[in-house]
Amino acid sequence: MTFHEVAGLRFHVERLGPSDRPPAATVVLVHGFPADTLATYYFTVAPALAEAGLDVVMYDQRGHGRTTRPDSGYQLERFVEDLPALLDELGIAGPVHLVGNCFGGMVAFGMAVLHPDRVASIFAIESEPATPDWAIQLAPSLHHGRTDPNLEESIASITAEHGSHMGRLALRAARMLRTTSLARDILASELLLDPMEFWQIRCPVFAVYAADSDLVGLADRLPHALPDCRTAVVAEQDHFVLSGAPEQISALILDWLAEQGVAVTLPTTPGLRAAS
Amino acid sequence: MTATTITVNPTTEQVLAEIAAMLADVLADIGPHSAEIAMGTSFNDDLEFESIDMVSLAVLLNARWGERVNFAEFVAGKHLDELIALTVGELVYHVVDGLAVTQASRR
Repeated sequence: MTFHEVAGLRFHVERLGPSDRPPAATVVLVHGFPADTLATYYFTVAPALAEAGLDVVMYDQRGHGRTTRPDSGYQLERFVEDLPALLDELGIAGPVHLVGNCFGGMVAFGMAVLHPDRVASIFAIESEPATPDWAIQLAPSLHHGRTDPNLEESIASITAEHGSHMGRLALRAARMLRTTSLARDILASELLLDPMEFWQIRCPVFAVYAADSDLVGLADRLPHALPDCRTAVVAEQDHFVLSGAPEQISALILDWLAEQGVAVTLPTTPGLRAAS
Repeated sequence: MTATTITVNPTTEQVLAEIAAMLADVLADIGPHSAEIAMGTSFNDDLEFESIDMVSLAVLLNARWGERVNFAEFVAGKHLDELIALTVGELVYHVVDGLAVTQASRR
């Protein structure tokens, strides 16, 4: 486990790379919230990306996983500003390729707005640039997680339906919402973009959605809103497509990076080339 | 003549003791004493492992035994839920197998 002091917090960072040659490029994998961690990448796409020749950087975002959990400071722009500071700390100066899952994609889009010179491309999974509408729609569930008087029953119900690990993750999310100002801070973020401002995201974007997700409509809409954006839909998957179809996602990421001029070694194993 | 496999590397008990110490380290704040961890201990039900705990364990395993154990191969094809559902013993046997120096002898 590696830790780096950034912005007054202790960030947990894991890094994988090719063992037999210098990396072709750096890709930073940004996880979601409020119960997600870098583990979602570590056991899914990260090993395949490292094997393909990439320097793979994963980190637990502020308040998540093994990174420090401050009481406050959870506006979107705070999450975004952690990233260039962390790259500085890691000695990564040039533009990097970003992969963002759900809220992690919003951090990536925010990085493209605030630090365009440090973003080579974005691969977004079940995500979109964070808008005021998104924050407003999210508000009730954040409020519920923070104030639900029947938390124990809710957790028991999740455990019964999805297993004890998911129950623990839900409890972790509830604790985060109850012990920090995250719910309030997200709504007060200054970096929420009106769709008319999406033109500020100028880097190449590839956005992946799951066919059974509520977000799948974005696959048609987002390319019209961003200057340089393509999308794809993964069949028979829901919002948790990164965990549900890691081989397809890693193959899509590698194809995307190859298209961006990165000299990745595309896997020859048939099972890893299953992306549609 | 019969081919016999001889294992000359650490015993199951030795590997269990090392992994138990790692688990006590990973779960330092809340976890059990390493002496309480046995082959049948479940990451999910007994240790209440979260996926981020599994990352920490993987890092310690790689630092200790590197590619000789090949944890990546062990987790390949398993979803997070399946990994968490494993027992300590299943991991111990994977490590012991990975470290085993085998040789065929004739008698």
